Amino acid sequence: MATKFERREHFEASLGNGYRLLPFSFSPLNDRDYILTNQAGQYTLLDRPTLEDLVRHRLEPRSDAYATLKSQHFLLDSDSNVAVDLLALKVRTKNSQFTNFTGLHIFVPTLRCEHSCPYCQVSRQSDDKTAFDMSFETANRSLGMVFRSPSPAIKIEFQGGEPMLNFELIRHIVVCAERINQIEHRNLQFVIATNLALVNDDVLSYCKAHDILISTSLDGPKDLHNRNRPRPGGDSYERTVAGIAKARDILGRDRVSALMTTTEASLGRVVEIIDEYVRLNFDRIFLRPLSPYGFAIKTKSYQAYDADDWLDFYFCGLKYILQLNRDGLYFVEHYASIILSRMLTPFESGFVDLRNPAGIGIGALVYNYDGEVYASDEGRMLAEMHDKTFRLGNVHENTWEEIMTSSALLDPLEQSFAGSVPMCFECAYQPYCGAEPVFHYATQGDFVGHKPSSAFCHRNMAITRHLIELLRTDEDANRILMSWLRI
Amino acid sequence: MAKEEADAPRADCDLRFSSAVYSLDTIKKAAYRLSGHCSFDFEVVGGEILCRLHFAQALSSERMAAIKNGFRNEVLDQDLRRTIAEETGPMRNAILAYAFSRTGLQDGDEV
Repeated sequence: MATKFERREHFEASLGNGYRLLPFSFSPLNDRDYILTNQAGQYTLLDRPTLEDLVRHRLEPRSDAYATLKSQHFLLDSDSNVAVDLLALKVRTKNSQFTNFTGLHIFVPTLRCEHSCPYCQVSRQSDDKTAFDMSFETANRSLGMVFRSPSPAIKIEFQGGEPMLNFELIRHIVVCAERINQIEHRNLQFVIATNLALVNDDVLSYCKAHDILISTSLDGPKDLHNRNRPRPGGDSYERTVAGIAKARDILGRDRVSALMTTTEASLGRVVEIIDEYVRLNFDRIFLRPLSPYGFAIKTKSYQAYDADDWLDFYFCGLKYILQLNRDGLYFVEHYASIILSRMLTPFESGFVDLRNPAGIGIGALVYNYDGEVYASDEGRMLAEMHDKTFRLGNVHENTWEEIMTSSALLDPLEQSFAGSVPMCFECAYQPYCGAEPVFHYATQGDFVGHKPSSAFCHRNMAITRHLIELLRTDEDANRILMSWLRI
Repeated sequence: MAKEEADAPRADCDLRFSSAVYSLDTIKKAAYRLSGHCSFDFEVVGGEILCRLHFAQALSSERMAAIKNGFRNEVLDQDLRRTIAEETGPMRNAILAYAFSRTGLQDGDEV
Protein backbone atom coordinates (compact mmCIF):
# COMPACT_ATOMS: atom_id res chain seq x y z
CA MET A 1 0.00 0.00 0.00
CA ALA A 2 1.36 3.41 -0.90
CA THR A 3 2.03 5.75 2.04
CA LYS A 4 1.84 9.49 2.05
CA PHE A 5 4.60 9.90 4.62
CA GLU A 6 8.09 8.49 5.15
CA ARG A 7 8.47 6.11 8.07
CA ARG A 8 9.81 7.37 11.37
CA GLU A 9 13.18 5.62 10.81
CA HIS A 10 13.74 7.72 7.69
CA PHE A 11 13.80 10.92 9.71
CA GLU A 12 15.73 9.46 12.62
CA ALA A 13 18.49 8.28 10.28
CA SER A 14 19.25 11.90 9.36
CA LEU A 15 19.66 12.94 12.99
CA GLY A 16 22.85 11.05 13.65
CA ASN A 17 24.90 12.85 11.03
CA GLY A 18 25.31 16.17 12.83
CA TYR A 19 24.10 19.56 11.70
CA ARG A 20 25.34 22.79 10.18
CA LEU A 21 24.50 26.24 11.44
CA LEU A 22 22.58 28.60 9.20
CA PRO A 23 23.40 32.33 9.53
CA PHE A 24 21.79 34.01 12.53
CA SER A 25 22.31 36.85 15.01
CA PHE A 26 21.72 36.76 18.74
CA SER A 27 21.30 39.40 21.45
CA PRO A 28 20.35 39.26 25.13
CA LEU A 29 16.61 39.48 25.81
CA ASN A 30 16.96 39.58 29.60
CA ASP A 31 19.37 38.26 32.24
CA ARG A 32 18.61 34.66 31.28
CA ASP A 33 17.49 34.39 27.68
CA TYR A 34 18.66 35.37 24.23
CA ILE A 35 16.75 36.22 21.09
CA LEU A 36 18.00 34.66 17.84
CA THR A 37 16.94 35.99 14.45
CA ASN A 38 17.71 34.48 11.06
CA GLN A 39 18.20 36.24 7.73
CA ALA A 40 14.46 36.29 7.05
CA GLY A 41 13.68 37.92 10.41
CA GLN A 42 12.20 34.81 12.07
CA TYR A 43 13.01 34.68 15.77
CA THR A 44 13.32 32.13 18.53
CA LEU A 45 14.39 32.33 22.19
CA LEU A 46 17.05 30.23 23.91
CA ASP A 47 18.77 30.29 27.28
CA ARG A 48 22.56 30.80 27.29
CA PRO A 49 23.54 27.14 27.79
CA THR A 50 21.31 25.98 24.91
CA LEU A 51 22.68 28.75 22.68
CA GLU A 52 26.20 27.63 23.54
CA ASP A 53 25.25 23.99 22.81
CA LEU A 54 23.77 24.99 19.46
CA VAL A 55 26.88 26.86 18.34
CA ARG A 56 29.28 24.18 19.63
CA HIS A 57 27.28 21.44 17.82
CA ARG A 58 26.28 19.74 21.05
CA LEU A 59 22.53 20.09 20.64
CA GLU A 60 20.60 16.83 21.19
CA PRO A 61 18.80 16.02 17.89
CA ARG A 62 15.68 14.74 19.66
CA SER A 63 15.28 17.84 21.82
CA ASP A 64 12.44 20.32 21.35
CA ALA A 65 14.99 23.08 20.77
CA TYR A 66 16.51 21.14 17.86
CA ALA A 67 13.14 20.69 16.16
CA THR A 68 12.27 24.36 16.59
CA LEU A 69 15.64 25.58 15.34
CA LYS A 70 15.47 23.27 12.35
CA SER A 71 11.92 24.27 11.39
CA GLN A 72 12.82 27.97 11.68
CA HIS A 73 16.00 27.75 9.60
CA PHE A 74 18.65 28.18 12.28
CA LEU A 75 20.28 24.83 11.54
CA LEU A 76 20.51 22.40 8.68
CA ASP A 77 20.89 18.62 8.73
CA SER A 78 20.94 15.96 6.06
CA ASP A 79 17.15 15.83 6.06
CA SER A 80 16.72 19.57 5.37
CA ASN A 81 17.19 19.42 1.62
CA VAL A 82 14.92 22.38 0.82
CA ALA A 83 15.82 24.58 3.79
CA VAL A 84 18.25 26.84 1.95
CA ASP A 85 15.85 27.39 -0.97
CA LEU A 86 13.02 28.13 1.44
CA LEU A 87 15.12 30.54 3.49
CA ALA A 88 16.28 32.36 0.35
CA LEU A 89 12.65 32.67 -0.75
CA LYS A 90 11.72 34.17 2.62
CA VAL A 91 14.62 36.64 2.42
CA ARG A 92 13.46 37.61 -1.04
CA THR A 93 9.85 38.09 0.11
CA LYS A 94 10.97 40.23 3.06
CA ASN A 95 12.87 42.50 0.70
CA SER A 96 10.36 42.55 -2.13
CA GLN A 97 9.27 46.11 -1.31
CA PHE A 98 12.60 47.46 -2.54
CA THR A 99 11.89 46.46 -6.13
CA ASN A 100 8.86 48.75 -6.06
CA PHE A 101 10.98 51.81 -5.28
CA THR A 102 9.49 55.13 -4.11
CA GLY A 103 5.81 54.82 -3.19
CA LEU A 104 5.26 57.81 -0.89
CA HIS A 105 5.44 61.28 -2.45
CA ILE A 106 4.98 64.17 -0.02
CA PHE A 107 3.94 67.54 -1.41
CA VAL A 108 4.19 70.75 0.61
CA PRO A 109 1.58 73.05 -0.99
CA THR A 110 2.44 75.77 1.52
CA LEU A 111 4.53 76.34 4.60
CA ARG A 112 1.87 78.72 5.97
CA CYS A 113 -0.07 77.72 9.06
CA GLU A 114 -2.50 79.48 11.38
CA HIS A 115 -1.35 77.35 14.33
CA SER A 116 1.82 78.23 16.24
CA CYS A 117 2.74 74.90 17.85
CA PRO A 118 6.01 75.16 19.81
CA TYR A 119 6.91 71.61 18.80
CA CYS A 120 6.33 72.21 15.07
CA GLN A 121 8.98 70.21 13.26
CA VAL A 122 8.74 72.07 9.96
CA SER A 123 9.15 75.67 11.18
CA ARG A 124 5.82 76.90 9.74
CA GLN A 125 5.36 80.48 8.49
CA SER A 126 2.59 82.88 9.47
CA ASP A 127 -0.41 82.48 7.20
CA ASP A 128 -0.14 85.76 5.25
CA LYS A 129 3.15 85.00 3.50
CA THR A 130 2.17 83.59 0.10
CA ALA A 131 5.87 83.50 -0.76
CA PHE A 132 5.78 80.12 0.99
CA ASP A 133 3.16 78.66 -1.40
CA MET A 134 3.96 76.09 -4.11
CA SER A 135 3.31 77.38 -7.65
CA PHE A 136 1.34 75.44 -10.29
CA GLU A 137 4.49 75.13 -12.39
CA THR A 138 6.42 73.59 -9.47
CA ALA A 139 3.52 71.22 -8.84
CA ASN A 140 3.49 70.11 -12.49
CA ARG A 141 7.21 69.46 -12.51
CA SER A 142 6.96 67.56 -9.22
CA LEU A 143 4.17 65.39 -10.61
CA GLY A 144 6.43 64.55 -13.53
CA MET A 145 8.91 63.19 -11.00
CA VAL A 146 6.26 61.21 -9.08
CA PHE A 147 5.36 59.07 -12.05
CA ARG A 148 9.00 58.37 -12.90
CA SER A 149 9.01 56.04 -9.90
CA PRO A 150 8.19 52.48 -11.04
CA SER A 151 6.15 51.80 -7.90
CA PRO A 152 2.80 50.15 -8.71
CA ALA A 153 1.32 51.99 -5.70
CA ILE A 154 1.69 55.76 -5.51
CA LYS A 155 0.58 57.68 -2.45
CA ILE A 156 0.57 61.48 -2.72
CA GLU A 157 0.46 63.04 0.73
CA PHE A 158 -0.11 66.77 1.26
CA GLN A 159 1.80 68.13 4.23
CA GLY A 160 2.47 71.63 5.44
CA GLY A 161 2.29 74.08 7.07
CA GLU A 162 -1.43 73.66 6.79
CA PRO A 163 -2.04 72.39 3.24
CA MET A 164 -5.71 73.48 3.28
CA LEU A 165 -4.47 77.09 3.11
CA ASN A 166 -3.53 76.36 -0.52
CA PHE A 167 -6.42 74.05 -1.43
CA GLU A 168 -6.56 75.40 -4.98
CA LEU A 169 -3.16 73.82 -5.59
CA ILE A 170 -4.26 70.53 -4.03
CA ARG A 171 -7.20 70.42 -6.48
CA HIS A 172 -4.80 71.06 -9.35
CA ILE A 173 -2.41 68.29 -8.29
CA VAL A 174 -5.23 65.78 -7.74
CA VAL A 175 -6.80 66.45 -11.15
CA CYS A 176 -3.45 66.32 -12.96
CA ALA A 177 -2.34 63.13 -11.13
CA GLU A 178 -5.65 61.42 -11.97
CA ARG A 179 -5.27 62.44 -15.61
CA ILE A 180 -1.72 61.04 -15.80
CA ASN A 181 -2.90 57.88 -14.06
CA GLN A 182 -5.43 57.17 -16.79
CA ILE A 183 -2.37 56.15 -18.79
CA GLU A 184 -0.13 54.91 -15.95
CA HIS A 185 -2.72 52.71 -14.19
CA ARG A 186 -1.02 52.85 -10.79
CA ASN A 187 -2.78 52.26 -7.48
CA LEU A 188 -3.08 56.02 -6.76
CA GLN A 189 -4.03 57.33 -3.33
CA PHE A 190 -4.22 60.84 -1.84
CA VAL A 191 -3.90 61.89 1.80
CA ILE A 192 -4.20 65.38 3.27
CA ALA A 193 -2.44 65.91 6.61
CA THR A 194 -4.50 68.74 8.09
CA ASN A 195 -5.36 70.25 11.46
CA LEU A 196 -8.98 70.43 10.16
CA ALA A 197 -9.40 73.97 11.55
CA LEU A 198 -10.29 75.35 8.12
CA VAL A 199 -12.21 72.43 6.70
CA ASN A 200 -15.67 73.02 5.20
CA ASP A 201 -18.35 71.10 3.28
CA ASP A 202 -16.99 72.12 -0.14
CA VAL A 203 -13.50 70.86 0.67
CA LEU A 204 -14.82 67.60 2.10
CA SER A 205 -17.15 67.03 -0.85
CA TYR A 206 -14.14 67.38 -3.10
CA CYS A 207 -12.25 64.87 -0.96
CA LYS A 208 -15.22 62.51 -1.21
CA ALA A 209 -15.39 62.84 -4.99
CA HIS A 210 -11.68 62.09 -5.35
CA ASP A 211 -11.36 59.45 -2.62
CA ILE A 212 -8.93 61.55 -0.55
CA LEU A 213 -8.02 60.40 2.97
CA ILE A 214 -7.72 62.79 5.90
CA SER A 215 -4.99 62.53 8.54
CA THR A 216 -5.27 64.98 11.41
CA SER A 217 -3.46 65.82 14.65
CA LEU A 218 -5.07 65.10 18.00
CA ASP A 219 -2.84 65.35 21.06
CA GLY A 220 -5.37 64.32 23.71
CA PRO A 221 -7.96 66.01 25.93
CA LYS A 222 -9.00 69.62 25.31
CA ASP A 223 -6.61 71.37 27.70
CA LEU A 224 -3.59 69.34 26.59
CA HIS A 225 -4.35 69.64 22.87
CA ASN A 226 -4.91 73.39 23.06
CA ARG A 227 -1.76 73.85 25.13
CA ASN A 228 0.32 71.87 22.62
CA ARG A 229 -1.32 73.40 19.56
CA PRO A 230 -2.05 77.12 20.05
CA ARG A 231 -3.93 79.11 17.40
CA PRO A 232 -5.81 82.42 17.37
CA GLY A 233 -8.90 81.95 19.54
CA GLY A 234 -7.30 79.06 21.44
CA ASP A 235 -9.84 76.68 19.90
CA SER A 236 -7.72 74.14 18.06
CA TYR A 237 -9.30 71.21 19.94
CA GLU A 238 -12.87 72.34 19.29
CA ARG A 239 -12.16 72.83 15.58
CA THR A 240 -10.34 69.50 15.25
CA VAL A 241 -13.08 67.52 16.98
CA ALA A 242 -15.78 69.25 14.93
CA GLY A 243 -13.71 68.67 11.79
CA ILE A 244 -13.32 64.96 12.55
CA ALA A 245 -17.11 64.62 12.94
CA LYS A 246 -17.83 66.53 9.75
CA ALA A 247 -15.18 64.62 7.76
CA ARG A 248 -16.53 61.28 8.98
CA ASP A 249 -20.07 62.30 8.03
CA ILE A 250 -19.05 63.04 4.48
CA LEU A 251 -16.13 60.67 3.83
CA GLY A 252 -16.86 57.77 6.16
CA ARG A 253 -15.33 56.84 9.51
CA ASP A 254 -12.47 54.79 8.08
CA ARG A 255 -11.30 57.66 5.85
CA VAL A 256 -10.22 59.83 8.79
CA SER A 257 -7.22 59.05 11.00
CA ALA A 258 -5.41 60.96 13.73
CA LEU A 259 -1.85 61.24 15.03
CA MET A 260 -0.62 62.41 18.41
CA THR A 261 2.70 63.89 19.44
CA THR A 262 4.12 63.46 22.94
CA THR A 263 5.21 66.67 24.65
CA GLU A 264 6.53 67.05 28.18
CA ALA A 265 2.97 67.99 29.21
CA SER A 266 1.70 64.67 27.81
CA LEU A 267 4.01 62.45 29.84
CA GLY A 268 1.82 61.76 32.87
CA ARG A 269 -1.41 61.69 30.88
CA VAL A 270 -1.23 58.74 28.53
CA VAL A 271 -4.44 57.17 29.86
CA GLU A 272 -6.37 60.40 29.31
CA ILE A 273 -4.93 60.70 25.79
CA ILE A 274 -5.99 57.15 24.93
CA ASP A 275 -9.42 57.72 26.49
CA GLU A 276 -9.84 60.75 24.22
CA TYR A 277 -9.17 58.59 21.15
CA VAL A 278 -11.61 55.96 22.42
CA ARG A 279 -14.23 58.63 23.16
CA LEU A 280 -13.90 59.93 19.60
CA ASN A 281 -14.41 56.42 18.26
CA PHE A 282 -10.94 55.80 16.85
CA ASP A 283 -9.83 52.17 16.87
CA ARG A 284 -6.11 52.93 17.13
CA ILE A 285 -3.52 55.37 18.38
CA PHE A 286 0.08 55.95 17.33
CA LEU A 287 2.05 56.86 20.46
CA ARG A 288 4.85 58.97 18.96
CA PRO A 289 7.80 60.77 20.52
CA LEU A 290 8.85 64.22 19.35
CA SER A 291 11.36 64.35 16.52
CA PRO A 292 14.56 66.39 16.82
CA TYR A 293 13.79 68.99 14.15
CA GLY A 294 12.45 72.51 13.59
CA PHE A 295 10.78 74.46 16.38
CA ALA A 296 10.91 71.28 18.53
CA ILE A 297 14.65 72.03 18.88
CA LYS A 298 14.41 75.84 18.87
CA THR A 299 11.84 75.92 21.68
CA LYS A 300 13.62 73.08 23.54
CA SER A 301 10.47 70.91 23.39
CA TYR A 302 12.54 67.97 22.13
CA GLN A 303 15.09 68.26 24.94
CA ALA A 304 12.36 68.40 27.62
CA TYR A 305 12.29 64.61 28.08
CA ASP A 306 14.58 61.70 27.24
CA ALA A 307 14.09 58.25 25.71
CA ASP A 308 13.46 56.61 29.11
CA ASP A 309 10.77 59.18 30.02
CA TRP A 310 9.06 58.43 26.74
CA LEU A 311 9.38 54.66 27.18
CA ASP A 312 7.68 54.94 30.61
CA PHE A 313 4.88 56.85 28.88
CA TYR A 314 4.70 54.28 26.08
CA PHE A 315 4.65 51.15 28.28
CA CYS A 316 2.04 52.68 30.57
CA GLY A 317 -0.08 53.42 27.50
CA LEU A 318 0.42 49.95 26.04
CA LYS A 319 -0.60 48.33 29.32
CA TYR A 320 -3.78 50.39 29.39
CA ILE A 321 -4.56 49.57 25.74
CA LEU A 322 -4.16 45.85 26.42
CA GLN A 323 -6.59 46.20 29.33
CA LEU A 324 -9.10 47.94 27.05
CA ASN A 325 -8.82 44.97 24.69
CA ARG A 326 -9.23 42.49 27.54
CA ASP A 327 -12.41 44.37 28.45
CA GLY A 328 -13.75 43.78 24.95
CA LEU A 329 -12.75 46.89 22.97
CA TYR A 330 -10.65 46.32 19.83
CA PHE A 331 -8.07 49.11 20.03
CA VAL A 332 -4.58 49.04 18.49
CA GLU A 333 -1.30 50.74 19.34
CA HIS A 334 0.02 51.42 15.87
CA TYR A 335 3.79 51.34 16.48
CA ALA A 336 3.53 47.97 18.23
CA SER A 337 1.46 46.63 15.33
CA ILE A 338 4.18 47.67 12.84
CA ILE A 339 6.95 45.93 14.82
CA LEU A 340 4.82 42.83 15.45
CA SER A 341 3.99 42.53 11.78
CA ARG A 342 7.70 42.60 10.95
CA MET A 343 8.38 39.96 13.60
CA LEU A 344 5.54 37.60 12.82
CA THR A 345 4.65 37.91 9.15
CA PRO A 346 6.67 37.35 5.95
CA PHE A 347 6.14 40.97 4.94
CA GLU A 348 7.70 44.36 5.65
CA SER A 349 5.61 47.36 6.60
CA GLY A 350 5.80 50.45 4.44
CA PHE A 351 6.74 52.52 7.51
CA VAL A 352 9.65 54.65 6.29
CA ASP A 353 11.38 55.09 9.70
CA LEU A 354 11.87 51.35 10.17
CA ARG A 355 13.48 50.31 6.92
CA ASN A 356 16.90 48.96 6.05
CA PRO A 357 18.25 50.22 3.66
CA ALA A 358 16.75 53.45 4.99
CA GLY A 359 13.48 54.69 3.53
CA ILE A 360 14.94 58.02 2.45
CA GLY A 361 14.42 58.66 -1.25
CA ILE A 362 13.74 55.04 -2.16
CA GLY A 363 10.72 54.86 0.19
CA ALA A 364 9.62 58.49 0.26
CA LEU A 365 10.39 61.77 -1.48
CA VAL A 366 9.40 65.29 -0.47
CA TYR A 367 8.62 68.06 -2.95
CA ASN A 368 8.85 71.32 -1.04
CA TYR A 369 6.82 74.45 -1.83
CA ASP A 370 9.88 75.99 -3.59
CA GLY A 371 10.65 72.98 -5.82
CA GLU A 372 13.42 71.63 -3.61
CA VAL A 373 13.38 67.83 -3.34
CA TYR A 374 14.30 66.17 -0.06
CA ALA A 375 15.06 62.57 0.83
CA SER A 376 12.46 62.54 3.61
CA ASP A 377 10.12 64.78 5.57
CA GLU A 378 12.75 64.89 8.32
CA GLY A 379 15.32 66.01 5.72
CA ARG A 380 12.99 68.86 4.81
CA MET A 381 12.63 69.71 8.49
CA LEU A 382 16.42 69.94 8.81
CA ALA A 383 16.53 72.21 5.76
CA GLU A 384 14.12 74.60 7.48
CA MET A 385 16.85 74.74 10.16
CA HIS A 386 19.29 75.85 7.39
CA ASP A 387 20.92 72.43 7.02
CA LYS A 388 20.41 71.14 3.48
CA THR A 389 22.34 67.88 3.85
CA PHE A 390 19.36 65.86 2.59
CA ARG A 391 18.47 68.17 -0.32
CA LEU A 392 18.58 66.00 -3.43
CA GLY A 393 17.95 68.70 -6.03
CA ASN A 394 15.23 70.94 -7.43
CA VAL A 395 12.42 69.99 -9.81
CA HIS A 396 13.22 73.05 -11.95
CA GLU A 397 16.93 72.31 -12.24
CA ASN A 398 17.46 68.57 -12.01
CA THR A 399 16.27 65.42 -13.75
CA TRP A 400 14.83 62.37 -11.95
CA GLU A 401 18.09 60.51 -12.67
CA GLU A 402 20.19 63.32 -11.16
CA ILE A 403 18.02 63.43 -8.05
CA MET A 404 17.92 59.69 -7.46
CA THR A 405 21.65 59.21 -8.01
CA SER A 406 22.79 62.29 -6.09
CA SER A 407 25.44 61.73 -3.44
CA ALA A 408 23.07 63.45 -0.98
CA LEU A 409 20.92 60.31 -1.30
CA LEU A 410 23.40 57.53 -2.03
CA ASP A 411 25.94 58.46 0.68
CA PRO A 412 23.53 58.28 3.64
CA LEU A 413 21.84 55.18 2.19
CA GLU A 414 25.14 53.36 1.84
CA GLN A 415 26.74 54.53 5.07
CA SER A 416 23.71 53.81 7.26
CA PHE A 417 23.00 50.33 5.83
CA ALA A 418 22.62 48.24 8.98
CA GLY A 419 24.41 45.25 7.46
CA SER A 420 27.67 47.16 7.74
CA VAL A 421 27.08 49.43 10.74
CA PRO A 422 28.90 48.71 14.04
CA MET A 423 26.57 46.88 16.44
CA CYS A 424 23.62 46.83 14.00
CA PHE A 425 25.24 44.24 11.72
CA GLU A 426 25.22 41.64 14.51
CA CYS A 427 22.10 42.79 16.38
CA ALA A 428 19.26 40.26 16.62
CA TYR A 429 16.73 43.12 16.86
CA GLN A 430 17.91 44.63 13.58
CA PRO A 431 15.26 42.89 11.39
CA TYR A 432 12.62 44.85 13.35
CA CYS A 433 14.50 48.15 13.37
CA GLY A 434 15.63 50.69 10.77
CA ALA A 435 18.70 52.53 9.54
CA GLU A 436 17.45 56.11 10.17
CA PRO A 437 20.36 58.25 8.90
CA VAL A 438 18.45 61.52 9.29
CA PHE A 439 17.72 61.04 13.00
CA HIS A 440 21.33 60.08 13.73
CA TYR A 441 22.66 62.94 11.65
CA ALA A 442 20.40 65.39 13.54
CA THR A 443 21.23 64.04 17.00
CA GLN A 444 24.80 62.75 16.65
CA GLY A 445 26.25 64.48 13.60
CA ASP A 446 26.71 61.57 11.18
CA PHE A 447 24.59 59.14 9.15
CA VAL A 448 25.70 56.05 11.08
CA GLY A 449 25.44 57.25 14.67
CA HIS A 450 26.94 55.82 17.82
CA LYS A 451 24.41 53.11 18.57
CA PRO A 452 25.33 52.47 22.24
CA SER A 453 24.14 56.03 22.98
CA SER A 454 21.44 56.32 20.28
CA ALA A 455 17.95 57.17 21.55
CA PHE A 456 16.49 55.57 18.42
CA CYS A 457 18.28 52.28 19.09
CA HIS A 458 17.47 52.35 22.81
CA ARG A 459 13.77 53.02 22.17
CA ASN A 460 13.30 50.35 19.50
CA MET A 461 15.18 47.64 21.36
CA ALA A 462 13.23 48.35 24.55
CA ILE A 463 9.87 48.17 22.74
CA THR A 464 10.76 45.00 20.83
CA ARG A 465 12.01 43.27 24.00
CA HIS A 466 8.83 44.27 25.79
CA LEU A 467 6.63 42.90 23.01
CA ILE A 468 8.52 39.59 22.93
CA GLU A 469 8.15 39.22 26.70
CA LEU A 470 4.41 39.92 26.42
CA LEU A 471 4.03 37.39 23.61
CA ARG A 472 5.63 34.59 25.59
CA THR A 473 4.54 35.29 29.16
CA ASP A 474 1.01 36.66 28.87
CA GLU A 475 -1.49 34.46 27.03
CA ASP A 476 -4.12 37.19 26.87
CA ALA A 477 -1.66 39.77 25.62
CA ASN A 478 -0.40 37.28 23.02
CA ARG A 479 -3.92 36.80 21.64
CA ILE A 480 -4.51 40.55 21.52
CA LEU A 481 -1.17 41.41 19.93
CA MET A 482 -1.66 38.74 17.27
CA SER A 483 -4.97 40.38 16.36
CA TRP A 484 -3.07 43.60 15.56
CA LEU A 485 -0.95 42.05 12.80
CA ARG A 486 -1.06 43.97 9.54
CA ILE A 487 -1.15 41.50 6.67
CA MET B 1 44.57 46.96 49.98
CA ALA B 2 42.34 48.09 52.84
CA LYS B 3 38.61 47.39 52.37
CA GLU B 4 37.71 51.10 52.53
CA GLU B 5 40.20 51.80 49.75
CA ALA B 6 38.87 48.95 47.59
CA ASP B 7 35.27 50.20 48.03
CA ALA B 8 36.08 53.83 47.26
CA PRO B 9 34.54 55.29 44.07
CA ARG B 10 36.91 55.04 41.10
CA ALA B 11 36.98 56.44 37.57
CA ASP B 12 38.92 53.62 35.91
CA CYS B 13 39.61 49.91 36.22
CA ASP B 14 41.50 47.11 34.43
CA LEU B 15 40.39 43.79 32.98
CA ARG B 16 42.68 41.11 31.56
CA PHE B 17 41.88 38.41 29.00
CA SER B 18 44.08 35.58 27.75
CA SER B 19 45.09 36.20 24.13
CA ALA B 20 45.25 32.42 23.69
CA VAL B 21 41.49 32.31 24.28
CA TYR B 22 40.19 35.59 22.81
CA SER B 23 41.24 37.69 19.83
CA LEU B 24 41.82 41.44 20.16
CA ASP B 25 39.08 41.96 17.58
CA THR B 26 36.59 40.11 19.79
CA ILE B 27 37.54 42.26 22.79
CA LYS B 28 37.22 45.48 20.75
CA LYS B 29 33.74 44.52 19.51
CA ALA B 30 32.62 43.87 23.06
CA ALA B 31 34.11 47.20 24.16
CA TYR B 32 32.19 49.09 21.46
CA ARG B 33 28.90 47.92 22.96
CA LEU B 34 29.88 49.41 26.30
CA SER B 35 31.24 52.62 24.82
CA GLY B 36 28.15 54.50 25.98
CA HIS B 37 29.38 53.97 29.56
CA CYS B 38 33.13 54.40 29.26
CA SER B 39 36.14 54.67 26.95
CA PHE B 40 38.83 52.01 26.52
CA ASP B 41 42.57 51.53 26.11
CA PHE B 42 43.97 48.18 24.97
CA GLU B 43 47.42 46.75 25.37
CA VAL B 44 48.75 43.29 24.54
CA VAL B 45 51.19 42.33 27.28
CA GLY B 46 52.79 38.91 27.07
CA GLY B 47 49.97 36.42 26.69
CA GLU B 48 47.32 38.85 27.90
CA ILE B 49 45.08 41.57 26.51
CA LEU B 50 44.89 44.38 29.05
CA CYS B 51 41.75 46.53 28.85
CA ARG B 52 41.62 49.78 30.79
CA LEU B 53 38.12 51.23 31.24
CA HIS B 54 37.86 55.01 31.79
CA PHE B 55 34.67 56.58 33.17
CA ALA B 56 33.68 60.24 33.01
CA GLN B 57 32.91 60.18 36.75
CA ALA B 58 34.01 58.00 39.65
CA LEU B 59 31.67 55.01 40.15
CA SER B 60 30.78 53.04 43.25
CA SER B 61 32.44 49.65 43.53
CA GLU B 62 29.05 47.94 42.99
CA ARG B 63 28.39 49.86 39.78
CA MET B 64 31.94 49.25 38.61
CA ALA B 65 31.60 45.50 39.28
CA ALA B 66 28.32 45.39 37.32
CA ILE B 67 29.93 47.02 34.29
CA LYS B 68 32.94 44.70 34.46
CA ASN B 69 30.62 41.67 34.59
CA GLY B 70 28.65 43.04 31.67
CA PHE B 71 31.86 43.45 29.71
CA ARG B 72 33.00 39.87 30.47
CA ASN B 73 29.63 38.48 29.34
CA GLU B 74 29.78 40.58 26.18
CA VAL B 75 33.24 39.20 25.40
CA LEU B 76 31.82 35.68 25.69
CA ASP B 77 28.96 36.62 23.36
CA GLN B 78 31.32 38.18 20.83
CA ASP B 79 33.44 35.03 20.85
CA LEU B 80 30.33 32.98 20.11
CA ARG B 81 29.39 35.39 17.31
CA ARG B 82 32.84 34.96 15.79
CA THR B 83 32.36 31.18 15.76
CA ILE B 84 28.95 31.52 14.07
CA ALA B 85 30.33 33.97 11.49
CA GLU B 86 33.20 31.63 10.61
CA GLU B 87 30.86 28.69 10.07
CA THR B 88 28.04 30.51 8.31
CA GLY B 89 29.75 33.31 6.33
CA PRO B 90 29.79 31.51 2.94
CA MET B 91 26.21 30.28 3.48
CA ARG B 92 25.06 33.83 4.34
CA ASN B 93 26.44 35.12 1.05
CA ALA B 94 25.04 32.19 -0.92
CA ILE B 95 21.53 32.74 0.48
CA LEU B 96 21.66 36.47 -0.31
CA ALA B 97 22.94 35.77 -3.82
CA TYR B 98 20.20 33.22 -4.37
CA ALA B 99 17.48 35.46 -2.89
CA PHE B 100 18.41 38.40 -5.09
CA SER B 101 19.11 36.52 -8.30
CA ARG B 102 16.67 37.09 -11.17
CA THR B 103 15.46 40.37 -9.68
CA GLY B 104 15.94 42.32 -12.89
CA LEU B 105 18.57 44.46 -11.19
CA GLN B 106 21.40 43.07 -13.30
CA ASP B 107 21.81 43.07 -17.07
CA GLY B 108 20.55 39.89 -18.65
CA ASP B 109 18.31 38.92 -15.73
CA GLU B 110 14.96 37.47 -16.58
CA VAL B 111 12.38 38.39 -13.96
